[in-house]
This record gives sequence, C-alpha cells and structure tokens, in this order.
Amino acid sequence: MKVLAAGVVPLLLVLHWKQGAGNPLPITPVNATCATRHPCPSNLMNQIRNQLGQLNSSANSLFILYYTAQGEPFPNNLDKLCGPNVTDFPPFHANGTEKARLVELYRIIAYLGASLGNITRDQKVLNPYAHGLHSRLSATADVLRGLLSNVLCRLCSKHHVGHVDVTYGPDTSGKDVFQKKKLGCQLLGKYKQVIAVLAQAF
Amino acid sequence: MALFAVLQTAFLLALLPLRTYQSEVLSEPLPLTPESLSVSINSAKQCLHLQWTVHNLDYHQELKMVFEIQISRFKASDVIWTGNYSTTVTQNQVLHWSWESELPLECAIHFVRMRTMVDDARIPVPRFWSNWSSWKKADAQNSLGDHPLYVFPKDKLVEEGSDVTICYISRNHQDNISCYLEDVLTFGKQLDQSVWAFELKNISFLRKTGTNFYCQGQGVPEGVVLFVSKVLEEPKNFSCETRDLKTLTCTWDPGDDTGLIQLPSYTLFESFSRKKTLCKHRNRCDWQVTQDSQEMYNFTLVAENYFRKRSVSILFNLIHGVHPVAPYNLFPKNVSATNATMTWKVHSIGNNSALLCQLQLLGEGKVIQQHNISIRVNGEYLLSELEPDTEYMARVRCAYADHFWKWSELISQNFTTAEAAPSEAPDVWRDVMFVSGHPTVTLFWKPLSKVHTHGKILFYNVVVENLDEASSLEVLSVPAPANSTKVTLNQSSYQIHVTAHNSVGPSPASTVAISGHPGNENVEEGRINGTEDGFPMSWKPQSRNATGYVVEWCDGPQNLPCVLQWKNLGPTTTGTVISSGAFRPGVRYNFRIYEISTKRMAHLLEKKTGYLEELAPSYNPQVVPNNLTSHSFTLSWKDYPTESQTGFIQGYYVYLKSKAGEKCHRGFEKTVLPDNSVCCKYTIDNPDQKTFVMKDLQPESVYEFFVTPYTSAGEGPMDDFRKVTTPDEYSHILIHIILPMIFCVLVIMIACYLKSQWLKDKCYPDIPDPYKSSVLSLIKSKENPHITIMNVNDCVPDAIEVVNKPEGSKIQFTGTRKSPTETKGTKPAYLDLLPTEKNYSGPGPCICFENFTYNQAASDLGYCGHFPVTSQAPHCPLGPLTSPENLLKTLEQNYMNSLGEIPAGEANLNYVSQLASPVSGDKESPPTNPPEPALCSEYKMQMAIPLGLASPPPSENSSLSSTTLLDPGEHYH
Repeated sequence: MKVLAAGVVPLLLVLHWKQGAGNPLPITPVNATCATRHPCPSNLMNQIRNQLGQLNSSANSLFILYYTAQGEPFPNNLDKLCGPNVTDFPPFHANGTEKARLVELYRIIAYLGASLGNITRDQKVLNPYAHGLHSRLSATADVLRGLLSNVLCRLCSKHHVGHVDVTYGPDTSGKDVFQKKKLGCQLLGKYKQVIAVLAQAF
Repeated sequence: MALFAVLQTAFLLALLPLRTYQSEVLSEPLPLTPESLSVSINSAKQCLHLQWTVHNLDYHQELKMVFEIQISRFKASDVIWTGNYSTTVTQNQVLHWSWESELPLECAIHFVRMRTMVDDARIPVPRFWSNWSSWKKADAQNSLGDHPLYVFPKDKLVEEGSDVTICYISRNHQDNISCYLEDVLTFGKQLDQSVWAFELKNISFLRKTGTNFYCQGQGVPEGVVLFVSKVLEEPKNFSCETRDLKTLTCTWDPGDDTGLIQLPSYTLFESFSRKKTLCKHRNRCDWQVTQDSQEMYNFTLVAENYFRKRSVSILFNLIHGVHPVAPYNLFPKNVSATNATMTWKVHSIGNNSALLCQLQLLGEGKVIQQHNISIRVNGEYLLSELEPDTEYMARVRCAYADHFWKWSELISQNFTTAEAAPSEAPDVWRDVMFVSGHPTVTLFWKPLSKVHTHGKILFYNVVVENLDEASSLEVLSVPAPANSTKVTLNQSSYQIHVTAHNSVGPSPASTVAISGHPGNENVEEGRINGTEDGFPMSWKPQSRNATGYVVEWCDGPQNLPCVLQWKNLGPTTTGTVISSGAFRPGVRYNFRIYEISTKRMAHLLEKKTGYLEELAPSYNPQVVPNNLTSHSFTLSWKDYPTESQTGFIQGYYVYLKSKAGEKCHRGFEKTVLPDNSVCCKYTIDNPDQKTFVMKDLQPESVYEFFVTPYTSAGEGPMDDFRKVTTPDEYSHILIHIILPMIFCVLVIMIACYLKSQWLKDKCYPDIPDPYKSSVLSLIKSKENPHITIMNVNDCVPDAIEVVNKPEGSKIQFTGTRKSPTETKGTKPAYLDLLPTEKNYSGPGPCICFENFTYNQAASDLGYCGHFPVTSQAPHCPLGPLTSPENLLKTLEQNYMNSLGEIPAGEANLNYVSQLASPVSGDKESPPTNPPEPALCSEYKMQMAIPLGLASPPPSENSSLSSTTLLDPGEHYH
C-alpha cells in the first residue's frame, strides 16, 4: 500500500502540477454544489486539532532524522542549508475567519503532502538504507492525507466549500542530488515551523 | 567483330574517368578540410562532443585521415589541449569525437577547431595539413538560470583515489564565497573573474549516499554531491558446479562492495556455445545445461561498473563438478539393544546415476562407525554392535559415484538403542563395626559405569544370607541412586549379595562375606611415601587361596567424615598404586589391605599410612615451662597431636637464647636464625618425647626458648621466643622463712583485733570514775563531809550573766561539777559572769573549768580555745555544748546542722567553748579570725570524749557516735 502511495501520489501530483502549478485558482463559489462521499464525523474539529498536534509533536524529530541522514554539511549548517526560506509556500493568517483559516490550512496541507511525496521518493533513491527515515516520511504523509480529508470535509459540510485550488512546490525529480537534499531539508524546516503555528491556531 | 569493337570502346571510356581520378587523387594533394564542425556538451559525462564531415571525397572513396584538434578555454587563443584523431573516412561520413574535460564544462567557454591530413599509404608523401577550421564555441553557461551561485559538476561519479575538479560560477563578483568538502574548508584557484576551481586529489569513499561539496556566499548555499565508488575488484574463487546435471551454478567472491547505489553488473559468457547471461546476483549465476550433451564449458565472468571491467575465466567439465543435493528422510528402523537399520532417500541425478553415500554413526560426538554404500534412489544399512540404552547420531551424505568431487550436505538423525540388563556386578565393599558384640555392616557400592548399566538403574537388591542358618534370607531393596546401606547382623557368618536392577533385569551379583566375630585388627602399621602417581604399596600374601585383595582408605583428611574408597585387586597382585584426585599434600592417609578368601571373607593383611607429600608442620606446640629452679626448668608440650600433622613428626628442635656470648649448653649447638640472631639449638629426635629439661642454667638469668617440630619437609614456623627467668639461688630459703613469719604476724594481728577489748582492759584500762570509786564508799562510811573528791581550782567564776531569764530557767549550769553535797547549798546557778579587774588576766574575760574526768590528751594540746567574751558576742559556736541537754539535743538534731544555725534562743549563756579549737573545728574551713592563744583561764572538758569527736563533724555517723558517748545517764549526775 505504501509503495502504491509513494508511486501513484507523486505521479498524480506531477500531472496536477503540469496543469495548474503556480496558478492558484479561486475557491468554489458559494452556490456551487458540495457533496462528500461519507458523512463527516461530528467531532471533526477535534480530529483536525489532534492531527495537527500529532504532526507538530513529530515534526522536529522528523527534521532531525532527515538532516542527519543527509550527512555533512547539513547537520552543522542548518541555518544555511535548511532554513525555512520556501518562497512559494502558501500563506496562513491566524486571525482570519474559520473558513479562511481552513482554506489556507487546506492549501498548506496539500502543498506539504506533495512535497513530502517528492522527498520520500528522492530519499528512497538517495538513502536506500535509511528505512527509519522512509517510514517516518510515509507516516507523516499518511497523517497529512487524513488531515486534508478532514479539512475538506469541514469546509464542505459547514462552509459549503467543495473545491480549493492549491499550489505545489517545485518538482525535484529533475534536480541534482544536492538540490534534492537541500530542498527537502528546507521544506521540512518550513514544515516544522508552520505546523507549530497551525497547531496553535486551531 | 563490330560488337567487340563496341565493347572495347566502352571499356576504354570507362577507364578514362578512372585514369583521370587517379591522376587527380594519387598524384596531387587533395584540399580535404573538415566541414560542418559542430560542438555540443554532454554535462552528465562532462564531454565535448564534436561532429563534422569531410567533403570532396568521391563516391566509394575511403581514405585514412588524421584530424588535429585544438581546444581552448575561456579564450580561443588559450589552447589547453591539442591532439590527433585518426580514422578512415568515407564520402559524406559524419565523424564523431568526444573529449572529456577535467573542468566541468559549465564553468568555462570552450573553443574547438581542427584540421586534417590524409594519412593513407596510397598517397605519396609529402602530405600536407589542411587549413584550420574556424573556432567553434561551446558555452554551457547560456543554459544556466539567474541564480547568483552555481556549483559543478552535478552528481558526478568518481572512482576512489582519483582526482576531481569542482568549480563554481558566481554572478556576484563582490561576494566572498567559501567552499567546503564535508564541512572542511577547501581552497581553490580562480580561473576567471567569476569562476573558481577546486582540485580534489585522491578522493576517498565516505558513504554510499555521496560526498557533499558546497559553497557558501551571502545567499543560499549551493553544492554538489560526488558519488565515490570503490575500485571494482576482480571476482575471486570463481567456480561452477551442478547438483542435478541440469543446471550449472557458478559462484564467486565479488570482493568489497563498490559503495555505490548502482551495483556493478556481472555477465557470464560461455565461449563454446557463445552464449551469455546477465547474472541476477553479485556472487552467483545460474546456467542452464543444454540437451546437446555439452560436457566442456569455458566460462568467462565479466564484472563491470562505470569505471572498470574485470573478467575471470574457467574451463569446466560438467561431470567433474557434480555436487549432489543432500539426501533426505533419514530414519532408524527396527532399533534393538544392539542393532538399528538406517534408511534414507536421495534425489536422482541425470539418468539415475549412481551415488556413493557415506553413513556415519556417532556416539558422544565421535564417529564410531563409518560405512560407504552405493545407491541409486533409496539407501538402507544395518548398524550393529551398538550398546544398549545408548543415544547415537546417524548421519549420511552422498557424492557422485562416477567422479567424486564433493560430498553433499549432511543430514542427521538421533536414535537410542533399547535397554538391556546390567552386564556387570556392582563393585561392593563393606565396613564392619562391632556394637555390643554384634556386627553392624555398612555396605558400599560404586555406581555402574554407563557401559555396564544398559539402562537406568532403578534399585539395588541386597540379599543377606545367614550361612549358619541355611533357610535364613533377608532381602533389602535400596532405591537408586543410593550407594550404601547398613545391615545389623548377629554373631553368625553371612554372605551378602548385591545386584543392580534396571527395567530389564538384574545385574550379576556381587558377594561379600561377613564373619560374626571381629578379625585380627592388631596389625602393625607401616609407613608409605606418596609419589606423583599416588601411593605405591605392596604386601605379602598370607594364604595361597586368596581370591583377591582390597585396599581401602578414606579420601578426606582424618578430621573429616570418612568417604570410604576401595580398590579391588586380583589374586596374583601383590602391589598397586592408589591414586585419587582427592589426595592432597600434607594430609595423612591410612590404608588397610585386606585379603579376600575363597569364601569372600576379608582378612586384614596390612595397614599403611603416609602422605602424598609431607609438608613442614603448620603450627608449633604450646610449650609450658614448669619446675622452674635456679638452675633448670622443664618444657612440656604433651598435648601436641603428632598424628594430625602435615607430615610425620620426626622430632623437635629446642631453641634457647641466653646472654650474648654465652656458650651453648651441652647437647646444644649454635645456629643462626632467619633474623640473623644466634641461639642454641637442641634436637630431639624422638617424636614421642614431649618434655625437655633445661639444665645447667644460671640463677637470676633470663632465658628465651622456642620449640618447633620438624618433618622430612622441614621444621615448623618460626614463632616468638618465650622468656623464663631463673630465680635467685637463696630465694627459696627466704620464702621458707618469710612466708611463715608473715603468716604468724597476720595471725597475731587478727587475734589482737578480735581481743582488742580484752587487751584494752588488760593493757590500758579506762580511768576510773571517782564517783564510782570504792574510795567514795570509804569516805561516806567515815562520814567526813569535808572531804570531797574534786576541788575547784583557783579559777572561780566571777560572774554569770544570764541572757534570757525566762529561758534560763531551763538551763542547768553544769560548768562546775560539784558533788551533790556541795551543790545543795549553793544558790541558783543563773548568774552573770562579770569580769573583774582582779581576775582579769588576759585580753578578755575567760572561763576556766576543771574536771578530773578531763581528757588529758585534749588538755595536752596546750591551748583550749580562748576567745574574748563580749556582751555582743552573738553565739558561741559551741555554746549549746555547755549544756548537756542542749548538747544532747543538738546531737539528736542530727549534727548535719552547722553550729551557727542553732537558734539564738537556745544559746542563753555566753561563754567560750574550749572545743572550738582548730583541732575540733572544721578543718577545711578555718575561722577567719582565729583566736589568739591566751594563757588565762582553762577549761577542761568533763567528758571522756575522743579528741576527734570534740567538735561534731557534719556526718550522720559521727552524730550517732557522739550520741552514744554523750549519754547523760552515763556522764551527768
């Protein structure tokens, strides 16, 4: 299942990226139809909060695991090589309405999910024996997928938002190994920073 | 004819152009120049790829040509490489050539040009170079983006130990950029205004995931990853074999991993069949044997990675490399106590080829039987001569029978043979103790060895047979693993049979005979010396019909419980060596040798005692000196046990130290002790002598002695010397006189003490009381009233001052002890004592009394406490004593009160007591104003009070004593 997810998801993301990357589209109009396949659970916001807390609690250790596996100079130059300077990262405004915050959360989770897919794919090639890192990356991606579903459910059921246009980060498949390592490290650094804000905002 | 003419004409016409061509090509230099030169960059391989054509070549023309190529960097004029490339060129051929740059091509603009020359043997010399082509530019920087910093080459594969050049391009010339190889600062050289190069020499392998190199300016760091590969090793131990003549398996040792994620490829090539296969594993490859009965194979294994290609070959005969698969289904069948049949199966090889199988039988880990059996499909073999109740392991392996090359893997199976009755009688011995004339026999037996038990011993049967009463049998069953039992017998003769039983049956019986009477124990004990092998001993047979001999002993020291051991010996044996792992040096072992009669009766033959190795005594005797005289004393150590020592005590050494320089006594010899002191040594060579008399000693001298035993291994430890001082020669005489004298004196003293009153009465009786004197009766009888006993001296009181009249009536003046006859006519005694000039003879008024009962000793003191008497004198310290009643009262009031504490009302009469003297006062607290002695009126106490009690001491005992002495009934009348 994990193999399937690791192979198919990036493919889908790449296909999606070809069509709409870098072009955020407006959210679904209010009068658009919104339907979910399954009824949303009643304690959806609690689940979202718990998932954010779970991600927040594991983000730092995932970051450490990642940059340790890349070898020097990454562990000793975190500020230079792993700084959270991801330029096209979706914004988040904690003082917005719940709907706006959920929409922004959805974009961020989608961005992070796609980026984690790229990182997982790259690391399986670059660090084929770092099984611990692979499993942690996959587990994080799993939680992100669940969170994405819950957020969408909440948006749809309460705010009647059935579709949110999202953006993704750059595809790293054509980049050299150092760039892959560096981008992955920067992304995970950003992830650690953002997820803390999100966990607090919800 | 006409046709011939036409053909000839056509042939000539055809030859004409050829002739023309030959005249042009072969006789004149051709202007052949490279055309359409293009340069491209292969970033992955860091190669410049050149492509060109050569024009002016005719159709079908092939010429060998040389191309001289020049490559410049940064500027066309900076030629960094020139080389030739030779090839054969045909018409319209597009030529390709690549050049690998050590500097990443992205970091510099390259220019390429070439010229050509025909290098064909058909072309006569001289040959000329063509003109240079124009410079072609290769610029990879055009494809770069607008990032401020780039580092190249990206993801380069390099071999360990090689050199690699890394460069960076900085768009910002002001930026100060530092580059690091795995966090180690690296220095490079500047190639251009914006290009720096770093040459990494002899690069080493760090990790599979690559070596990081990065450069850091003011912006985001950029870097590259170098993938360093270890040098590909040549495969070792390359060999092939087949297990079934259908598939060949070739194996090899690939050596160390190259360390790259991209593994090297291994290809197996067979030259006879010209087939090859790409191996799926890095150390093994399978090859399908063809059906064309190919027997010989010439294999070449090629290992290849990005940098190297290694190969190794073998010539292999299929028949000679058969390694059968391990057999299977190995089972024991029909297992009895001594036999078992083993069966197994094998995998067929080829067309049911024969296999040679080896069946091994192992017992206790060792191969005890080995059999080779030739089979085709099923194997079976009968194993015999097995031991009952024994666990065995059978294992089998097989090899190709036609040509042995290698055994298959082993398979094994354990099995245990069935039980059988024990094959040997237990080794039994006895210990007989006679209690109240009845023998108590303790039977001991040794456990049967595993080869004789043939199963688990469950119990031992002991059958006691009374030889004097034929029908008397007693059977005891002793459960295993007990190895002894006790039997009480009467004074008959017995035979005792002992058998060991397992689940199958009993062992043969072991028999001992017991006589109802004690045998001859009075056998002299001989000594034996142990050796490294044990105790060798021999004996003399007593009877010719002995069926054997038994030597018994205890394994432990004598002070421990005896673990009875014995050794059976044959009838012809007259000596043996007793060895045991329990034997220790310095321990005495006692051996008893018995002769076994035909009736299995044991007779004590000899006793032996000895040490495996004698040691020096471990401790010395406690020596007691006695019979001390001025010239001798006796040393005794009778309680020293010689039997329990660490060797046979051969005697004792007596060491004696006396004054330095003295000669040793007779029998002693001088010796030097370990502390280099000199002393005399006497050797007692009789171990039973445990006393020694030191003679010829000097009186009043100090002697030091020390006694130590010795064995063949040496003497005992060196302890401290003990001292003995010989007495004076006449001291005994003195003792004989002084002691009785002291005794007599003591007797006399005791007698005196007991008869002290009698002595007092006899030697110094009390002064008679004149009132009780017989003279008084005589006086009374004469009726002479003028004659008195006591007269007042000149000291007549002048005045008596009555201080307190009302209370004074109670005071009875007794200062003058007048006779009753005299006191009758006197006035009441309450008078003021006023000093007069006539009587005044000192600094103050004095009162002096005299009494014939006065204690002369007290008066002899020379003074009697003269105090000035004033009207203000508050209290005379001994005032109350002037009145017998007050004195008595005071004494009765427990003289713990000080005199000053007596109430003033009770001291009506101011007078000075003569007892208030330093002698009778508080000796520890003399008065601050001691009275000055005044020779005036004297007072002499009228009581026979001991001097020490003149003043009441502050103690209860004293009070009681005073009360007794001051009994008014006795002294006041």
